[in-house]
Amino acid sequence: MPNLLRLVGGATVTAILGFLLLPAVVVTLAAFNSRAILSFPPEDWSWRWFIKAIAYDDFQAGVRNGLIVTAWASSIALVVGAAFAFALDRYEFRLKRTLETVLLSPLVVPHFTIGLGFLILAAQLGFARGYAVVVACHVVLVLPFVLRSVYISLRNLDPRLELAAASLGAPPDRVLITVTLPLLLPGLVSGWMFAAILSFNEFTASLFVTVQRTQTLPVALYNYVREYADPSMAAISVMYIVATATVLTLANAFLGLAKVLNVEHPR
Amino acid sequence: MAYASVRSGRAAVRPFLRLFVAPAVLCAFAFAAALAAVMQYSLRAYVPGSLEAGGFTLANFAALMRPLYARVFLDTVWICFLTALFTLVVGYPLAYALVHARNVALKSTILVIAVTPLFLGEVVRTYSWIVVLGNNGFLNSMLLKLGLIDAPLQFMFTQFGVVTALVHVTLPVMVIMLAAALSHIDRDYERAAASLGAGPIRVFLTVTLPLSTPGIIAGVTTAFAWTFSAFATPQLIGGGRVNMVANLVYQLGFASFNFPFAASLSVAGLVLTFAVLALMRAAARPLERIRQH
Amino acid sequence: MVSAPAAKTTSGTHGGGQVAVELASVTKRFGKITALDDVSLTVRRGELLTLLGPSGCGKTTLLHLVAGFLMPDSGEIAIDGRRVTDVVAYRREIGIMFQNYALFPHMTVAGNVGYGLRMRRIAKPEMTRRMADALALVKLAGLEDRKPRQLSGGQQQRVALARALVIRPRVLLLDEPFSALDRNLRGSMQVELKEIQRKLGVTTIFVTHDQSEALSLSDRIAVMAEGRIRQLDTPHEVYRHPADRFVASFIGDANVLRARLERIEGSVATVVLGAARVAVPTRTLEGSAVGGAVDLFVRPEDVRVAAPDAVTAAHGIVAAQIYQGGHIDLYVDAPEVSSGRILLRVPSHEAASPPPPGTRIGIALAGDVAIAFRSA
Repeated sequence: MPNLLRLVGGATVTAILGFLLLPAVVVTLAAFNSRAILSFPPEDWSWRWFIKAIAYDDFQAGVRNGLIVTAWASSIALVVGAAFAFALDRYEFRLKRTLETVLLSPLVVPHFTIGLGFLILAAQLGFARGYAVVVACHVVLVLPFVLRSVYISLRNLDPRLELAAASLGAPPDRVLITVTLPLLLPGLVSGWMFAAILSFNEFTASLFVTVQRTQTLPVALYNYVREYADPSMAAISVMYIVATATVLTLANAFLGLAKVLNVEHPR
Repeated sequence: MAYASVRSGRAAVRPFLRLFVAPAVLCAFAFAAALAAVMQYSLRAYVPGSLEAGGFTLANFAALMRPLYARVFLDTVWICFLTALFTLVVGYPLAYALVHARNVALKSTILVIAVTPLFLGEVVRTYSWIVVLGNNGFLNSMLLKLGLIDAPLQFMFTQFGVVTALVHVTLPVMVIMLAAALSHIDRDYERAAASLGAGPIRVFLTVTLPLSTPGIIAGVTTAFAWTFSAFATPQLIGGGRVNMVANLVYQLGFASFNFPFAASLSVAGLVLTFAVLALMRAAARPLERIRQH
Repeated sequence: MVSAPAAKTTSGTHGGGQVAVELASVTKRFGKITALDDVSLTVRRGELLTLLGPSGCGKTTLLHLVAGFLMPDSGEIAIDGRRVTDVVAYRREIGIMFQNYALFPHMTVAGNVGYGLRMRRIAKPEMTRRMADALALVKLAGLEDRKPRQLSGGQQQRVALARALVIRPRVLLLDEPFSALDRNLRGSMQVELKEIQRKLGVTTIFVTHDQSEALSLSDRIAVMAEGRIRQLDTPHEVYRHPADRFVASFIGDANVLRARLERIEGSVATVVLGAARVAVPTRTLEGSAVGGAVDLFVRPEDVRVAAPDAVTAAHGIVAAQIYQGGHIDLYVDAPEVSSGRILLRVPSHEAASPPPPGTRIGIALAGDVAIAFRSA
């Protein structure tokens, strides 16, 4: 490729990456500002907003609730999604395609609709608006991601490996445990991970289905931002960004994000 | 071929089938029930001051026709369209670089940076943009310092601000879908074109771009659907002056407790989304035929 | 080339000629396609039988039916006298090696080879001993802790073979095992496989589409096409006395020459080509009229450049000369007798250098074995 083209291309990509990174960088600067008003550049540097954010009751409760909801939702979604992906890949049955479409449709149905739906459903059925409703809502929301991730992994699995195992004397359940599951592990783990992160960060639907008691962290953050303008929010954002980027980098190193997201060139 | 390794005997016994499918059926049911709840509520009357709904009525849908509300729908579609367009323009070079980069570290870096915003959650992302776009924010401070402007420019509470933040939010999804499509294009096509005398730009325009059309379509439709349901971004950056459907639904539900009307808005929104997606699909059909795979 | 001595065709060589695998009237359909049509086959204990045919002929389906990965729609399958038609794969005690080896990527060589032994709950000391024997057999001792991706193609194949053999299968099934190897490696692996197979005396069914591989390795060959077995015989018989047109064209190279059927005397018929007369078996000439045209199949090594005083079958012009090392391939255009080019195979060491392209030559038929079919 001619050098000019390379240069222009490189500059474009760098600019775009810069656009992607801009908010993160800016928010980090703001978080360390010792003054309460957002200003650039910060005049004094300080950790005080971090300390305040961590100590804030609502944020702590939000993290706690978020972890509870996420742990339940992503685990349930993993089991349900993996089992269904297996059935999708291996079996033929009536309504297979319909079921698949329905389970994948939360990807295109607005979260506020789903949230509203669960809210109304719970009210009409007489359920209290507790953790159960929130978890149920989250399971429906993250299931498509788990389903896709596990399904792609299953498709990439060489069926002859399972045949070889059978030929060597392994009955179906042992084939599953000794060959299929170990090889599916990266897909399962990354599916679970996506589900967990998306559930923890989910906001719109959660806003509809949670109440003060079950408030997840994003909802707590939203309520805070509406009332206060100090950089505590920036501090939390920085912690968020660092945690997420770390998890993703580790995931990429160990699981190969590219393969899981299906953006790798097939060999 | 259907292998008999999990079957015993000639009858097609499928162990575990019901076990594997039952939980999924339950989830599908729950989801369908939630949607049904919304639809059913949209046809009930609003009882002011109460959380219960009244009897059957079409009044909610009639109210939708009022310019106030119709306007919000139009605005939403417009914003979604702008967002999808800009996200495509910005996302394509990134996806291209991601797929064609030879350096593994570079690939990983681009991937992580591109995908991270997806996992930050709406509130954190949106707040970060407030810090950038606000009157005391980064952009204005920089422009003032550089002497390019005298007074802060208004980015907050404008469509510009909302669209910018939405593009940022939607970029990861677009990049992933485009990269997936691009990575599956056989490099030999590009090499063949080059060997026949096409320069890099022509190779791109005549080979790569057409072959990536399915990815573009998938990306744009997904971007549109995603953006349509945006809430936090228009809520916080739009500040009540830029309203999308989600904001309206929330206001009606939690400010006025008019859940039936909120439900009818949701239903209308759903219908609209599917209509636009179907339209996009139909318009894109001639493009899809280009791909020979 | 490893040749199978002709004596092996008679019964009573391997363990009393017992039957190791038997298929009786097996049919298998996939939707509208009939992959195997009423196939019956007997595999003798200790022999290496090859299923040979083009893709789609049903050979892999047959192999998978014996393995138990598929169930037949009708017919019966027996291994060592025991009916296994309804028995699942993991109870059939077969060993299979796939084209892509199918080594478990998440296990080491030891893990792979020991897998079948673990499934059978073999005690640890015996397991270790048998694994060591198996790896020594395939010449891979010392690589127990490597993962498959750290091995070369040839090494991976040996591991796959060891894995299949260590469980002492009743039948060894090989699904085009050498097609992924390059030519040199293929040759030496074929020899090694044959040695191992003979040493262990394990009944083996081998699937391939490469007829030279089948000719060199097999005790018997089953030539298949479109779901049926066309001929089941030793390599020698299949080569020299093909049962029908398909087998004749599929095995080895053959020249198809337009000749005339002169007369039939019992089981021998006489066919005329130019000034030459050739005796052919009558059985393959069904439907041909005396005096009419027939297709004469002659192997390249049975066609010679005619000496000036020899009986010529036809005349033609040399089109190309291809040096093959041990022999020279001569391509001759002779449109009156053949629509394609006639291929002559001339040993390189013969005194006279072969005629260059453009020369007009006479063609003589050497050897007394030829076969003719009804005109297509």
